[in-house]
Amino acid sequence: MAGRSASRIRTALMAYLVVIVSVIFFISPMLWIGYTSFRTQGSIFSGQIVSPSKEYTLQNYVTIFSETDFPLYFWNSLRIGVVITLFSLFVSIIGAYSLSRFNIRWKNALIIGIFSTQMFPQVLLIIPMYLVIVDLGLLDRVIGVVLGQLILILPFQIWMLKGYFDNLPLDLDDAARIDGCNIAERLLYVIIPIAMPGISVAAFYSFVVSWGDYLIVSIINQTSRTATLTLVMQRLSASLLIRWGEVAAVTVLTIVPTILLFSFIQGRLVAGLTAGAIREE
Amino acid sequence: MRETCPTFMKTRERCAVGRADFLRGQPPMSADHTSQLRKRLRVPVIRESRQGALLLLPALIIMAVFTVYPLLDGLWMALTDQNLLRKTIDFIGLNNFARMLSDNVFWLSLEHSIELTSLVVLFQFALGLVLAWAMSQNLPGMTLFKSIIMASWVIPVAATVTMFKFMAQPDIGFINIVLKALGFSNLNRYWLGDLTFAFPFIMLLHLWRNVPFYGIAFLAAMQAIPKTYYEAAEIDGANAWARFRYITLPGIRNMITVMVTIHVLWTFNNFDFVWLATGGGPVNVTDVLPTYIYRQSWSNYDLGYAASMGTVMLVILMIYFVVYMRVLEGQARS
Repeated sequence: MAGRSASRIRTALMAYLVVIVSVIFFISPMLWIGYTSFRTQGSIFSGQIVSPSKEYTLQNYVTIFSETDFPLYFWNSLRIGVVITLFSLFVSIIGAYSLSRFNIRWKNALIIGIFSTQMFPQVLLIIPMYLVIVDLGLLDRVIGVVLGQLILILPFQIWMLKGYFDNLPLDLDDAARIDGCNIAERLLYVIIPIAMPGISVAAFYSFVVSWGDYLIVSIINQTSRTATLTLVMQRLSASLLIRWGEVAAVTVLTIVPTILLFSFIQGRLVAGLTAGAIREE
Repeated sequence: MRETCPTFMKTRERCAVGRADFLRGQPPMSADHTSQLRKRLRVPVIRESRQGALLLLPALIIMAVFTVYPLLDGLWMALTDQNLLRKTIDFIGLNNFARMLSDNVFWLSLEHSIELTSLVVLFQFALGLVLAWAMSQNLPGMTLFKSIIMASWVIPVAATVTMFKFMAQPDIGFINIVLKALGFSNLNRYWLGDLTFAFPFIMLLHLWRNVPFYGIAFLAAMQAIPKTYYEAAEIDGANAWARFRYITLPGIRNMITVMVTIHVLWTFNNFDFVWLATGGGPVNVTDVLPTYIYRQSWSNYDLGYAASMGTVMLVILMIYFVVYMRVLEGQARS
């Protein structure tokens, strides 16, 4: 028995070692940028980790709100994120429901086709897509960015929701149908309420992808009308004399919304993302 | 069917009955019962499946306009000399592909892309397993750890890159401050601007973002393996390695397949990490195909050439896909 408990302690120690190393590696960069956002330029450039207390300040936040276009860019990111989340959810919920429940001709081919668009290099797709957006007159328009970002979101979102719907019993639909509900009513009153955990993950996925997108925005954006936070962050940290305190403040305020949403969803996130991979028996 | 659902409220209530049963953990109605009822009521299955197909239409239209058409147009463009600065577009056959043969940056980027993707996915897989193993131990504090660890995956790549760019700064960056404190001040440098270290640093960024996702996903799959398997194996005297090799690995095989497949695609196609961190520099040591293609299309406006290199990327991924699927099928059979 002694050997047994010794090996158990050894296992626990090794597990904790992995945990400690992971926390240092995965969490500390975020803490460091948060910490930096409250330091003055002088304090940051002192090369010290801790500075005298008078060198901590809220000035970086004040500056980005009062002297830069940060609020506008934040609003742009938010606006694009919300529009695309609602729009992509609508399209993928009905699409995934259709793939999950109905006998559609060439269904398997369609499913494979939709999933394999993940394989298409985005840098290739954006070239003709740019020309389409120009032709539609949507360059530098929010709707142009939204349509462009859909190609990043839809395939995975449909695949994920289809997996989720597949795990819901068919009897549910049948019972509702016999009670006289048509497709829209079944979807609205039966499937969507029950699938809410999966749908909230899908919503989270599209918001986060849109919020973090750089590629699409970088080609469709022309002016500050559609400039988003990722674009601004790239410009700030590529300028010659970098004001790291302000860059850190922008970074923190870009991260915070995603972390907040994540905190609501974290228990469900992976189950939702990989619903297509796991079949419940 | 509409007649049986005269009012809006009534429908909602009726639908809610089935839902309530489900939420209480009871099957809403047995399949036998429903199929009998369906026969009696003559619910028009065929008409419904036509309506059901219509629901897929918006997704298909969007994907046709913004994915399939751009793909086909891109493949066509690869055979032309289309340039945003020129009005005329000429068909030039395979000239773009011939140009690639003697383009050193193309070969370098291709090499980097393959190297980056294979190493990153391999490391992510291995470290993800280690992380999943640690999280599967029932220890105090593990729940909290599991709930925060995926934060790195949800924040924008641009923010990740900014954070690490700052940490990699000479003199003022966290990495160099720590190195100095440990007595290695001679290593002080901008890590992303270093010919030797820039590329490994990019790999580190990929690991930082994705390893927790692997860990949590593998953990979820591990927890779905029935405990009795492990108990039986223990009684039979199987050691930890044997239990891992013959129970855990087969048990999470599906998840491994999915994670590896999507991450090969995502990593090979990934543009933002390299572009935002180094732009492909210093002197092309971090250039990958997506960044080189992006530069050709949006700095040189050489759309034809860029599209032809994008075509090569697509072909590589398709070959990977076919080979990988074959291997999986072979495994499944044996």
